[in-house]
Amino acid sequence: MSTDTAEQSARSGGNTFFGDVWVNFVRWNIKAVRNRFVLVGSLVQPVIFLVLFTQVFGNVAGQSLPPGIPNYETYLLPAIVIQVSLATGATSGIGLVNDIESGMFEKVLVSPMNRAAVFVGKTAAEMVRIVLQIAIILGLGVLLGAEIATGIVGVVGIMLVGILFSLWFVAFSNTLALLTKDQESTIIGANLLQFPLLFVSSAFLPISTLPGWIQTVAKFNPITYGVDAARAIMLDADVMEVWDITAFGGIWNTLVPAIGVLVALALLLGGIAVSMINRASSADVR
Amino acid sequence: MSESLAIEAENLEVVYGDGTEAVGGVSLSVPRGEFFGFLGPNGAGKTTTIKTLATLLKPTSGRIRVNGYDALEQPRKVRESIGYMAQETSVDPELTARENLRFACESYGVRKGERAERIEELLELVDLADVATKEAKEFSGGMKKRLDAATALVHRPPLVFLDEPTTGLDPKARNRLWDYFRRINDRGTTIFLTTQYLEEADQLCERLGVILDGEIVAEGSPADLKQEVGGEILNVRLEDGPEARQRAVTVAQSAGIFPGTPSVEETDDGISVTTPTARQHGTDLLVALRDEGLTVTGFDVRAPTLDDVFLAITGEHLDDEVAEPEPASPPAADGGESQ
Repeated sequence: MSTDTAEQSARSGGNTFFGDVWVNFVRWNIKAVRNRFVLVGSLVQPVIFLVLFTQVFGNVAGQSLPPGIPNYETYLLPAIVIQVSLATGATSGIGLVNDIESGMFEKVLVSPMNRAAVFVGKTAAEMVRIVLQIAIILGLGVLLGAEIATGIVGVVGIMLVGILFSLWFVAFSNTLALLTKDQESTIIGANLLQFPLLFVSSAFLPISTLPGWIQTVAKFNPITYGVDAARAIMLDADVMEVWDITAFGGIWNTLVPAIGVLVALALLLGGIAVSMINRASSADVR
Repeated sequence: MSESLAIEAENLEVVYGDGTEAVGGVSLSVPRGEFFGFLGPNGAGKTTTIKTLATLLKPTSGRIRVNGYDALEQPRKVRESIGYMAQETSVDPELTARENLRFACESYGVRKGERAERIEELLELVDLADVATKEAKEFSGGMKKRLDAATALVHRPPLVFLDEPTTGLDPKARNRLWDYFRRINDRGTTIFLTTQYLEEADQLCERLGVILDGEIVAEGSPADLKQEVGGEILNVRLEDGPEARQRAVTVAQSAGIFPGTPSVEETDDGISVTTPTARQHGTDLLVALRDEGLTVTGFDVRAPTLDDVFLAITGEHLDDEVAEPEPASPPAADGGESQ
């Protein structure tokens, strides 16, 4: 049956890195629009936290705030923004597990696409989602009485912090997904971390009002840096309590170290995730 | 290293992390343009072998060249030049049929100008044109499988790996796919197909390899393998017990009924005769049995199955139940159904 010429290949030159990023970016955006639960689902808990915390603890918590902060809503809102980033970071790994389960991950692995580009494209689509969700949360917060001291520039800044902050958790949840290849483990692993981490950080109350051990843990908790960066922009003030840095002046005393920590974390965990994806195969072989 | 080979594997060995040896020293050569069938029961190592050839698994040891590229050193070159359809249906449930195909086109760098036409052509082929804008999660298992097959073929690769492509399909859908596989093979595409069904291999493949417990135990054309079995199998059920069965065996082996020396065995309720002329001379045996005073309660003639091939090659039955596919009508009868 073997004949003279093979069927003419339909491929053009080769895949480009940016082309591969784009293809995956488009695919994950389509999926996010189709699966409204993904967009709305990761907003539910942050919205509940925002509304309940401000209503229930607002009066009490407001009294322990440093002077110059208009209300607890304003203090809490940056923390809720970071919570949104965390929740979306967690769904990132769940998306990957779904891909593993539906066989799409293997399909991607057997294709000539650059694997880092596949990961970057998927993450970029999640960043779009984070921006949308942060916009919704900020809008809701302002409705509840929060004030953004730095105005519209601050809104953009807070979104950028939200994106930067999400990267390490996106990388973490994807690594978890690749390791466990199991939806429950990934959800539990990602969520299990989310809540305790939020509480042992500067998210809900000033660090100085918390017990000593929490102050120590908070120093090593990425959430502290994300919340501090977003809050510094929100309040237009140096809010970092875990380190006493004065070299940069004003708000930058918080932003420079916080962003430095988050970039380092993103590079470290992102590097691990990308190298895992590069080595990924469909089974563990000796 | 020959350029005329699509697949060349030497001493492929795959040991999983938990110590299970899935493939132990498989060597394979598949010339370009061949329709090669890889047969074996569940767990024999078919899927592990196909995944290793398709760069999805790194072998523990051994060398692989696919389309002239070293699978370990140039995996991306290999990936560009193959199509792969996994055993588990792989489609994105949240994308429509058309979007799934578009994603496949894009991930394989199908020329922009050709994409739209290629997508419509494949949608027609797998009979999903009228549900092209439906999300795949609404599809039945068979529809998903067909969509999956289409996505593996978007870039017209010179070599296609198909891992049990028709498992779970109804006969009509199976025939359409068989037809298409034959067509692309006629145009020069090399096809590496795994299956549990001898009938499928028989219909499609020029050459077969049989794998058992991670090793190739037989290789040859479908006719060769059936030769190993020794022909078709005539089962005769008898009313009476062991003594009658013994007499029946003697009758079947006696000269004058079947030419040559048929292989005759006692079964639980009668006898089984394996011979190339089971159909032509079956009635002679039935008459002879009646003349002997034996009561025949039923009989049937069947083509050898994979189990029979295994029995002939290894002397053992397949340990797990391998269901034969529903009988498929000849593809010609299906020709008018394409829309």
